Amino acid sequence: MRLVRALVIALYAALALLPLAWLALTSLKTRADTIRQEALFVPVLAGERAPAPPAFALTGEAYGKLNEVHVGAAQSFWQHLGHSLVIGACSTLASVLLGTFAAYGFSRFRIAGAKDWLFFVLSTRFMPPLAVVVPILLVYRRLDLAGTHLGLVLLYTAFNLSLSVWLMKGFVDEIPRAYEEAAEVDGYPLLAAFARIVVPQAATGMAVTAVFCLISAWNEYGFAMTLNHSGAITVPAYFAGLQGSIEGMPWPQVAAGALVFVAPIVVFTVLVRKHLLRGVTFGTIKQ
Amino acid sequence: MERTGHSGRRLGYAFVAPTLLFLVAFNVFPLVYNLVLGFTNAELVGGGAEWRGTANYARVFEDPGFAQALRRTGLFVGCAVTIELALGFAVALALRERFRGRGALLTALLVPMMLSPAVIGLFWNLILDGNYGVLNQALGALGLPEPQWTTDRDFKFLSILLIDVWMWTPFMLLIALAALNSIPGTLYEAAEVDRASRWTVFRRITLPLCAPLLGLAALLRATDALKQFDLVMAVTGPNDERTQTVSTELYQVLFRDQKVGLGSAYACLVLVLVIALATVFTRVLDVLRREHA
Repeated sequence: MRLVRALVIALYAALALLPLAWLALTSLKTRADTIRQEALFVPVLAGERAPAPPAFALTGEAYGKLNEVHVGAAQSFWQHLGHSLVIGACSTLASVLLGTFAAYGFSRFRIAGAKDWLFFVLSTRFMPPLAVVVPILLVYRRLDLAGTHLGLVLLYTAFNLSLSVWLMKGFVDEIPRAYEEAAEVDGYPLLAAFARIVVPQAATGMAVTAVFCLISAWNEYGFAMTLNHSGAITVPAYFAGLQGSIEGMPWPQVAAGALVFVAPIVVFTVLVRKHLLRGVTFGTIKQ
Repeated sequence: MERTGHSGRRLGYAFVAPTLLFLVAFNVFPLVYNLVLGFTNAELVGGGAEWRGTANYARVFEDPGFAQALRRTGLFVGCAVTIELALGFAVALALRERFRGRGALLTALLVPMMLSPAVIGLFWNLILDGNYGVLNQALGALGLPEPQWTTDRDFKFLSILLIDVWMWTPFMLLIALAALNSIPGTLYEAAEVDRASRWTVFRRITLPLCAPLLGLAALLRATDALKQFDLVMAVTGPNDERTQTVSTELYQVLFRDQKVGLGSAYACLVLVLVIALATVFTRVLDVLRREHA
């Protein structure tokens, strides 16, 4: 039985991790080496002669080339990463703040139809972007929001509110009400009590919520590609847009860019690993 | 401390109102607008939409492409969720016991689900390429057949399914591990005293006690898979009859053909379906939530 277990783990780990290893190797090749008929998977330091397959000469040129503007694009990878950063950070901040407010309202006040409202909030998560994008695009065009950072920030904020409200409601529910009651007895106005007592205690929850909001905004593609053809194009839309360019796909840059792009997400996820389950299940599983 | 006083209640609404207004603006409004557009011949560029009555809906019901996309999406969700759940649960069973380096391995195994599907889907084209792709070179070295994964009409759908399984099995694994951890050890000790066979223990203890959380995982994954768009766009594009999902079909009609009226009618039907499913799903989620509180 132990052997079977070890075998299952080894087999699955190999299948799951090999594509990631290939991603890393590809990012260290020249483009010509990525599309060779024989697989090159033994990295060696570049010497005077080209190494024989399956060895290939390591090169970091793909990371350097992320600076270049590729044929068919208007900006470099780093500039698109900048758009992703601005849009991801602003929308995450907004959805966590609004979500915390709403969670506090639902947690501490009697709101008519609270349960139905919460279900409505959750159900917005199920909407396929392509089914709601045209009305939004038509309005955005009229308001000059198409192709802007603000347009996607607003949209991603709305999209992430479902996650934010549900996660934060769980975290706020866990904060003992006694502190707020004491503050009220002491004559603190409600908003002051909220800012000084609830927010600090909900800080962990807000950080966890922020990570999960950031991941969805960071990786989103459907809205990004339909609303922003030009202007604030995020990284997923940028890479997808390189498809069908005359020069062919710049595979090493795609791999290098993908790794750079996922790095912050991996770091943040490791930081909130204790709350991972809570994040991916909308707060249903509390650990 | 639930505030029921007059001013307290109004304050409560002040806390929730911004969120609800936001969601109404970005979800209810497009719904209503879609409903109106679906009765017109509106196009993406240029104004002057005319009222067309129910002509668009008639076309949606006549066009076999729409029904086909619905069926294919259903097939995709069914296959993806089943395979990912079975595989994730099996690996979780194997990973259950602690060993050195388990934490690090788990973190590494979770990386695929953190990647952007649009970006990594693109990269999979390189792995799956029929001529220089590393997968076929590996298969060839083992003496196995080397199909044209992304261009052969019989393999395209399978390729997209394969990438989805690679990306999202970790999600099932994560939840399955939590489910296994939540089973009290005393149950297993009791079973050992009773000399229950391994299979009986699995069928009577492990499986039933894991079922609610596995159900939750399947549910969450299904709602996501229903929206499948990114991988299809990355691998075959929006106009391939073999891999057409609801979302890519909508993209094709709305943005390539620029038929907003027709697309909106279809979007309305899709939304009705999604809202019905969402209603069922949120209620189930609520039941599970209370069980785990």
